[in-house]
Amino acid sequence: MNDREKRDFQAGLNAEIDAWLKGENTRRSFIKKFGLMTGLLATSGGILSPWAENALAQAAVDLADPASPLGKAQAAAMKASTEGPADGSAYRAAQAAKQFTGATLNMTYEAGLQALDPRNFSGPVWEQLTGIKSNVVELSNPDQYSKAVAEHIAGSGAYDVLDISPAWTPSLADGGVIAPLDDYIAKYMNQADLDDVHPLYKALPTYKGKIWGFFDDGDMFALYYRKDIFEDAKLKEAYQAKFSKALEPPKTWEDYAQVAQFITDNLAPNVYGAGHFRKAGSPGNQFDFLQQYRANGGILFSDDMKAGLNSDAGMKTLTNMLAANAASIPGNNELDAVSLWAAFLQGKVAMIYSWPPTGRMAANYSQSAKAINFIPQSSIAGKVGYAVVPGNPEHATGYNKALSADSKNAEAAYLFMQWVTSPPVSLARVMLPYALRDPYRLSHFKSDLYGELFPSAKEYLINLNNSANVGLLDIIMPGAQDYFLSLDRMCTSVWAGTDPKAALETAAAEWDQTTDRLGVDQQKAFYTEFKKLPGASADNTVEKLGLAVKL
Amino acid sequence: MSAPATRFDALSEWSDRHFKWLLVAPAVLLILALSVYPLLFSVWVLFVNYDFTVPGHGFVGLRNFTRVLADPVARWSLWVTILLSTINVTIEFLLGLALALAMVKSFRGRGLIMSLLIIPLFISPVIVGQAWALLLQRPFGPTNYVLSQILGFEVTIGWLTQAPWNFIALVLADVWQWTPFMFVILLAGLTAIPPNLYEAAELDGVDGWRAFWWITLPQLGPMIMLAITFRILDAVRLFDTIFVMTGGGPGTNTYSSSFYLYTLGFTQFHLSEATAGAWMFLVITAILITFLVRRLLKAEPT
Repeated sequence: MNDREKRDFQAGLNAEIDAWLKGENTRRSFIKKFGLMTGLLATSGGILSPWAENALAQAAVDLADPASPLGKAQAAAMKASTEGPADGSAYRAAQAAKQFTGATLNMTYEAGLQALDPRNFSGPVWEQLTGIKSNVVELSNPDQYSKAVAEHIAGSGAYDVLDISPAWTPSLADGGVIAPLDDYIAKYMNQADLDDVHPLYKALPTYKGKIWGFFDDGDMFALYYRKDIFEDAKLKEAYQAKFSKALEPPKTWEDYAQVAQFITDNLAPNVYGAGHFRKAGSPGNQFDFLQQYRANGGILFSDDMKAGLNSDAGMKTLTNMLAANAASIPGNNELDAVSLWAAFLQGKVAMIYSWPPTGRMAANYSQSAKAINFIPQSSIAGKVGYAVVPGNPEHATGYNKALSADSKNAEAAYLFMQWVTSPPVSLARVMLPYALRDPYRLSHFKSDLYGELFPSAKEYLINLNNSANVGLLDIIMPGAQDYFLSLDRMCTSVWAGTDPKAALETAAAEWDQTTDRLGVDQQKAFYTEFKKLPGASADNTVEKLGLAVKL
Repeated sequence: MSAPATRFDALSEWSDRHFKWLLVAPAVLLILALSVYPLLFSVWVLFVNYDFTVPGHGFVGLRNFTRVLADPVARWSLWVTILLSTINVTIEFLLGLALALAMVKSFRGRGLIMSLLIIPLFISPVIVGQAWALLLQRPFGPTNYVLSQILGFEVTIGWLTQAPWNFIALVLADVWQWTPFMFVILLAGLTAIPPNLYEAAELDGVDGWRAFWWITLPQLGPMIMLAITFRILDAVRLFDTIFVMTGGGPGTNTYSSSFYLYTLGFTQFHLSEATAGAWMFLVITAILITFLVRRLLKAEPT
């Protein structure tokens, strides 16, 4: 220490002593207090973490009344997991998973209602059966893709089980984000359970000859209509007189607009003919356009991968959609899916096409769960009929369960996936009133227990199956988000008055840009793979391939 | 003295000498980790492919910039941002000034009214957007019904889906939330004007309008600049209400720059293009900020 440093040190020491004598903060007292605070923080971690864990932990298993159809389905799922049959996928998964007791599986779910199933039912039951805990990570739908990719790039191993849209499978598989399941399936699964999945959905997790997940949510659009209106004698007579044909659920899109307009003309403002979720950013536009466009013979891409949107089929589709809008409830173009449900359940709309929860809500079954209290009680229970959407309905999104390639508990994660999607467990899950998981297995469609959920549940299931027989899949290829966004922009601009032809040209140009960006050859290869799937086009539906399921 | 004790002394001495740096080190490290590193990382992203739909991070030169520049939606969103920011801030300034002038003198109930007026400031913009969407959205929102009752004929305005009504709806929501901000700052400025200036003017026979023009406005100048600067900086980031109320639609009609960049980055996952767009937007706003701050620093009551 030189003289200057000694002087500085002495001055500092004197200052400290003075400050200490005056009771002021000194460097020493600061360090002491800082140490105390750090110690407190460290201690509080020990105190707080059990509290936080408790607060964040999934709820205790929430089982239904054992005498109810759901209660019986849940009991059957437990029995299948604990008693067998020994070759059942649920039993084999639950028994094999016991070797991983104490592990924790991190699984992504869409935030909100979707996450209630693993929090209230499947997660706690799995823990009871195997001792494996589950940590549900709730994400928005886009984040279910982007976070999975980001965590993979970071190599964090943050997730074990991923809930993904089937449309993302090629990107995630090629990107190494998800792992193939073939070896595990050969080791653990009862292969017959794969054949229990409806043919439209069965191939969705398959890509380049490997299986990259288990299908887990039959998001099939169906037509829900007011039987009391379609059976009204005066209306039937008037419709017959005006159009020389019977008033019935429409089978073509021209009929759909015509019937909707007729009902609006006769019953508005009490009831309007139709309603749609057309709000910008609401996926109704893209799904509706794609189903009508392909039913009208529209081609998505030509042989050289140029967008086929700007075509007669495109014009016909937008013209039909505009006619349907004009016949619909005021504010049709501002509705999202939930608002549309509210309008239908309150009896303001005679026909809607939407996801399967519509049928459960219309029968007031979903509203038995507190989690769905934002949906009004149905004033139309018992009055709702089910039909296939004119032409070909869209299978709008759906979910696959996929195994994260970075999982540190890959085998345990796989076993959870097999168990949760097995016939008895998945049946109990698609029957949950608050769940947004919809029937997709043949055993779901044929289930007597599901058929007892509400008076018309059997007809509802038959219609979902029939819809899947002629259903169309979303585009499954890289860039799907871009293609969908262009469709949404195109539709909403047309609703606001843009010339349909100009809007089609703009959307087609955007599609071509997306294809160029991703590489024409690469996109062509993906599109070729997609076209092989049942439901890729109106000429390639399950029914046209001779695979239709008859109930 | 033993060797460990010597080392301890040396450490103690070193820490004494560098104590001030040790104190600021955590904050500096935090800033480096959370601000500087991401900033530098984003500079790298500008010139590579960073796109969830296109594997690899190859060097692409200026392609990310050219793609954004060539995108008509990017240009449109910039115009929307300028348009909405200008209209919003102008209306908020005029209304805020009027309210401040009305509230500058004490009267019965003034405190209560002022408290009510500033409530919107404490509400999240997302909630504000949702509330206005509920009021305006057809068929459930009451706005058209109320207007129909008042006007005596059926009003069928598509507030969220038809131009120019969708812009008017966005302006309504923004003005409702942020006028109180202008009001509070301008009121503070008004109360700081020395009353003797008005007394002298009154003695000279100056009427109210001229007193406002020649005393109030010049004296309030710096506060006006401050309020407008703050609001413009915030207004150009407009995102929340658009996200909730119009979703950017119909088409891309109400895309602001922030909404465009969000869509590009987090709906389409073209992250490197979104980063390039964000940097370009940053440069434009930096120019604006520099201009406004210089004016602000020069502003003095005249």
